[in-house]
Amino acid sequence: MSLKGENARAGSARLEIAGFRMLFKSDSVGIITALKKRYGRFLCAGGADCRFEVSEAAGRQNPFKPAVVYDKRSLKLKRGDFEAALDLVSGAGTLKTAASEQCLDAFLRSLLSSILLRSGGFMLHSAGLVKKGRAYLFLGKSGAGKSTLSKLAAGAGAEVISDEINLLRPGKGGFRVYGSPFWGEMRADGRPGGWPLGGIFLLGKAKTNGVRPCSKPEAVKLLLRCLLNFDKSQGAGAAVLANSAELLGKAAFSRLEFTKKDASFLELI
Amino acid sequence: MKTRIKKGLAYRRIAGDLFIVDSQRAELHELNGPAALIWEGLAAGKTEAPIVSAIAAEFEVSEKEARADVKDFLEKLAEAGLVAAKQGD
Repeated sequence: MSLKGENARAGSARLEIAGFRMLFKSDSVGIITALKKRYGRFLCAGGADCRFEVSEAAGRQNPFKPAVVYDKRSLKLKRGDFEAALDLVSGAGTLKTAASEQCLDAFLRSLLSSILLRSGGFMLHSAGLVKKGRAYLFLGKSGAGKSTLSKLAAGAGAEVISDEINLLRPGKGGFRVYGSPFWGEMRADGRPGGWPLGGIFLLGKAKTNGVRPCSKPEAVKLLLRCLLNFDKSQGAGAAVLANSAELLGKAAFSRLEFTKKDASFLELI
Repeated sequence: MKTRIKKGLAYRRIAGDLFIVDSQRAELHELNGPAALIWEGLAAGKTEAPIVSAIAAEFEVSEKEARADVKDFLEKLAEAGLVAAKQGD
């Protein structure tokens, strides 16, 4: 679905994230300003895969976890401070949200995690960086060293895709990692772009740096633990497993033992 | 009595192991060996008797041992909330 030839009005912002183009139109200056400020590097021109008519609404974060309902025709997302509905056939949607970057961020994470999952991809808690034109992801639980690894890599001149949340989806020739606006401690803006997946590492703290093989079941378990998914349906569970099986068949998984001291681990990738 | 898999669960063999995703409870379960075979028997709608026979044949144990193992595992699955006794069977 592509909606071309939209008349841009004063209150609109068009974003492209992970290859998905989203048009937001609103009479609320606060919402459009927040979108442009928060996702400035991901603004784009041209058509859109989906368009949202956005209205401003006061709301509380409670409930904090978004509820996602997905069927063949529509996607509904709801949290205390936003509510959205998207017709998956026409690409037309509505969004009621508070005019805050935090709220828009929560909405976009919910939307993209769901769309990625149903497109064969993943939104992953991970560190991502680029080396020799290929993207490498580092999966780890909280405290495993994702932010430290990202900061050390950036300090050594490597491009970091995100230190917190990376976007992965299948494309021609295999899986690709896309530029992410969702960051952790480094608080960077990210940049649009896409890189072929070079490999996935399970991150673990150690006294010396090293790379070890990891078993496939071990990789699946950590992959699923690092997945962001708010959709509680059986279909989402089936998609999670199908996507994991596909990724496991196409990507190299290893275990990176990491001292957290310096960027010498980059030589092992 | 027939045991059925709880509605809403997704499961799949990946790299030889069987993974079960309970999206409602955000839980992941991993089964291998006889446990995976028992699950697949339940998923195919089998009753306990043919599952016991399949386990006995596949793992070369007596029917008595297999029956005890299957019974024990079905109780564990029930405790974990992954299966329930089917009404009317």
